[in-house]
Amino acid sequence: MKKAAVSLYVVLTIALMLWGYYQAIYVAPNDAMQGELFRIFYYHVPSASVAFLFFAISLAGSIGFLAFRRSRPAFAQISDAWALSGAEVGVVFCTVVLTTGPLWGRRAWGIWWTWDARLTTTLVLWLIYVSYLLLRRFAAGPQMQTLAAVLGIFGALDVPIVYMSNRWWRTQHPAPVFGGAEGSGMDPSMVGAFLWNMLAWFAWGTLILAIRYSVERQHQKIAAHQAQQALDA
Amino acid sequence: MDAKALLDHQFVVAAYSVTWIIQLGYLVFLGLKWRAQKRAASPNDRESR
Repeated sequence: MKKAAVSLYVVLTIALMLWGYYQAIYVAPNDAMQGELFRIFYYHVPSASVAFLFFAISLAGSIGFLAFRRSRPAFAQISDAWALSGAEVGVVFCTVVLTTGPLWGRRAWGIWWTWDARLTTTLVLWLIYVSYLLLRRFAAGPQMQTLAAVLGIFGALDVPIVYMSNRWWRTQHPAPVFGGAEGSGMDPSMVGAFLWNMLAWFAWGTLILAIRYSVERQHQKIAAHQAQQALDA
Repeated sequence: MDAKALLDHQFVVAAYSVTWIIQLGYLVFLGLKWRAQKRAASPNDRESR
C-alpha cells in the first residue's frame, strides 16, 4: 500500500514537472520588456521559495533537537534528521537560485553578479548552510549535533532578511513581483505558468526531502547499532 | 529569430539545463548514498536474525 502511494506520488510529481515545463516554455507569453529571458523566472522563484521552506524545516528540526535532546532522545534524533535533510535539500535549491539568477543577470544587466543586498544576503545564506553541512560531515563527537543545531538556527535568521532585502533597501535585483509596492504583480496570462511551476517544484522538493530524510534515519539506525555492538564487545 | 532573441533563448536553455543538472545530480548522489547505506545495513540484519 505504502509502495503504491509512493509510486503514485512519484508519477504525479514527474507529470507536474513536465506540465510546468510545458506551461513555462510553450503557454506563457514572452514578457513585454524582457522577451523570452523572463522564462528563467519560472524556475528561479519557485526554487527560492522551496529553499526558504526547507530552511524553515531545518530551523524547526534544530529547535526540536535542542529542546528534546535530553528529555526525549528518540524524538530529538528524528528532529535532527529533519534539520539535516531540510538544510541539505535547501542548499540544493539555493544553489539553483544562485546559478539561474546570474544567468538572468548577465543578459538583463550585462553583469553576472553585483553586491546588492538581495544577492549578497542570499550568498551569505548559502554559505551558512554549506558550513552547516561541512560541520555535519567533518566534525565528530557528542557535541556535533548540538553545535549544528545552533548554527542551523542562526542560518535561518538570514531567511527573513533575504526575503525583505529588496523591500528594505534599494537593490539592483528586481522589486518584489508579489506583495510588493503598488503596481507590482504579474500579467494574468503568466500567473498559470508560475503557479504550476511553484506546485511542481514543491512536489519535487518534498520528494527529494523525503528521500534524504529516509537516508538519514537509516544512517542513524546503523550508527546506533554499531555503537551498541561496540558497547557489547 | 534575431540575434538578441537567439541569445535570450540560449540563456533560458542554460538556466533550465543547469537547474536539472543540479537536481538530478543530487538525486543520483542520494541514490548512491542510499545504496551504500543499504549495503552497510545488511550485515547488521544478518547478525540480528
